Amino acid sequence: MAQEQAIPTIGPAAPELALPHRPGAIRNVLKFVRRKPLGALGFFFVFFMIAMTLGTPKAEFGVPELPHSPLGFKLGKPWLAPYGEEQNFKNVTGRLNTDAAPSTKHWLGTDGSGRDNWTRVVWGARRSMFIGLWALALATAIGTVIGVISGYFRGWFDTAVQRLLDALQSFPPLLTLILILSITPFTSQPSLLVVSFALGFVGIPQVQRIVRGVVLSTREQQYVEAARVIGATDTRTMSFYILPNIMASIIVVFSTGLGVVILAEAALAFIVPQFVPQEGASWGLDLGRAQREGLDTHTWPVIAYAGAIALAVLGFNLAGDALRDVLDPRLRVG
Amino acid sequence: MQQYIIRRMLLNGVVLLLVATMVFAALRVDSDQVVNRFAAGCFTDVGADAESCKDVAKNLLGLDESIPKQYVDFMKNTLTLDFGKTFSEKKPVLHEITSRAAPSIELGLLQIVVALLVGVPVGVISAIRQDKWVDYILRFVAIFFLGIPVFIIAVFVILFTTRYAGGTGLDQWLGPGSEWKDIWEDPIKNLQRVTGPALVGGLGTGAVLMRFLRSQMLEVMRQDYVRTAWAKGLRERVVIVRHALKNALIPVLTVIGLLLGAVISGNVILETQYNIPGIGFFVTSAALQGDFPVIQGIVLVVAVMLVFINLMVDIAYGWLDPRIRYS
Repeated sequence: MAQEQAIPTIGPAAPELALPHRPGAIRNVLKFVRRKPLGALGFFFVFFMIAMTLGTPKAEFGVPELPHSPLGFKLGKPWLAPYGEEQNFKNVTGRLNTDAAPSTKHWLGTDGSGRDNWTRVVWGARRSMFIGLWALALATAIGTVIGVISGYFRGWFDTAVQRLLDALQSFPPLLTLILILSITPFTSQPSLLVVSFALGFVGIPQVQRIVRGVVLSTREQQYVEAARVIGATDTRTMSFYILPNIMASIIVVFSTGLGVVILAEAALAFIVPQFVPQEGASWGLDLGRAQREGLDTHTWPVIAYAGAIALAVLGFNLAGDALRDVLDPRLRVG
Repeated sequence: MQQYIIRRMLLNGVVLLLVATMVFAALRVDSDQVVNRFAAGCFTDVGADAESCKDVAKNLLGLDESIPKQYVDFMKNTLTLDFGKTFSEKKPVLHEITSRAAPSIELGLLQIVVALLVGVPVGVISAIRQDKWVDYILRFVAIFFLGIPVFIIAVFVILFTTRYAGGTGLDQWLGPGSEWKDIWEDPIKNLQRVTGPALVGGLGTGAVLMRFLRSQMLEVMRQDYVRTAWAKGLRERVVIVRHALKNALIPVLTVIGLLLGAVISGNVILETQYNIPGIGFFVTSAALQGDFPVIQGIVLVVAVMLVFINLMVDIAYGWLDPRIRYS
């Protein structure tokens, strides 16, 4: 790495010599890959998963609906999916081509209904990803507000809120999820948005705890004191002085949280399939279905879905760790 | 110390009250679903129509009173450990839970044992050989177990044993079975069933322990008293085990306390995967049938258990490390 040190010069130096050359984007990426190879691998998996969710948008606007209309407009067939979500394949004898081994036509083989596993994995990525995003949006928004207020004012409010959330947090998250989802109607038509909000609700304590920790140290900084001295109100101090300075931590929490939520959704769909909508491709649902119908025959679907969940979660973990080291070393534990 | 314990007990009482209130609120926010489920089984009675079925269901669930009265009744029932009856078989929930507790407790304890047996030596080796290739390999394996969820590892283990290791005996020890024997009935058969999930879950927990212990060890190894121990010529084993590890293990204890929640969560999944008739299996089958009293009962029982285990961990922490001041 040939980075030139800037030599402080006095007098009429040529302006282009006065500052060191800033490395370009590609060089920065290469530097990151070299310094944090595992983190780079994680980012590769994350970007690949994002690429799986992309499809041609259709100009149909409406209420957001998961998985194919996550932001209010419809997304078409994913670009990376070679076939349709429910398309079955028949073999030469005219029967369904079930549980086939990988071939050039079916990269990851076919499942028990003769559907292409790779295609199902790609369609399922959209569901996992957008459940994760909605859940984390809720958890981060509420968690940040609680964390900032609680850490900024401290005192009895802080103590009360922290005790309450400690109680929530020490509790097994899966049991909380089951409790919440068992009171919401699921016989008629469970909505994925409800599922993702439940997942987000469970994540609030973790998010707020980390945010509060960072706020506690940020509020002692001199610039916050300066803001108070010039007469900024509490609201102004929190939103214009503290919030921008804890953004890095929030981004780190968001990215690690995504992995956790994607895993939680898959685990939930895997053990209690009734809690999530049945139609459409879903990693957790399809994995559970394949396992219940028999691992010995449905080997390839199990490998495909379990591998997809494992790589996605691993990817988000590694990327989150690397992001934390780069953006916010304060959060490092162990 | 005594004062601290008393204060913690009071605080725990408040925490439990909050958890119970949340469970109480959960059903009252939206009870249609649960009432319908409960009423669904009543059509076998002669002459009962849907509305009267619902009334009966509401009455049995205690939903036909005023909210304050319901709350008092609920708390009274919870304090006397009366969680109502199951929807499906109309048996007392508490009895159903306690009769299934043994396999879950066994599995949980075995997991902690596996986690300690693997996590402690690996953490120590990784720390004393810091940045050597042993350390790199062990850390990579730990990242693998931390990053890949336990239930996915379990899926792969089950897949491998049922498909490729059938008949070798490995499938009996690591795969799921159908028949369950309690440990005092048939210890071998029982251990065969729990070995798989205990290993898989224990390795996942062990990876967390290992990472935490490694960083603790690295910190302790830099302390003055460890340098003194080296300087006075003690053997390596004595310095590491007696001086360093003993002190590094204390904070690890709190981690074990915190991990219990995760272990219970993990057991819900592992018991379902391995067909082990414990509390986790019970809660998922109750969730599948919409059996609300069971879910509510299990949530409350687990909450009580967790709160007291954490209290014990805290007390043990102060006992092991007198430097800790409880103020």
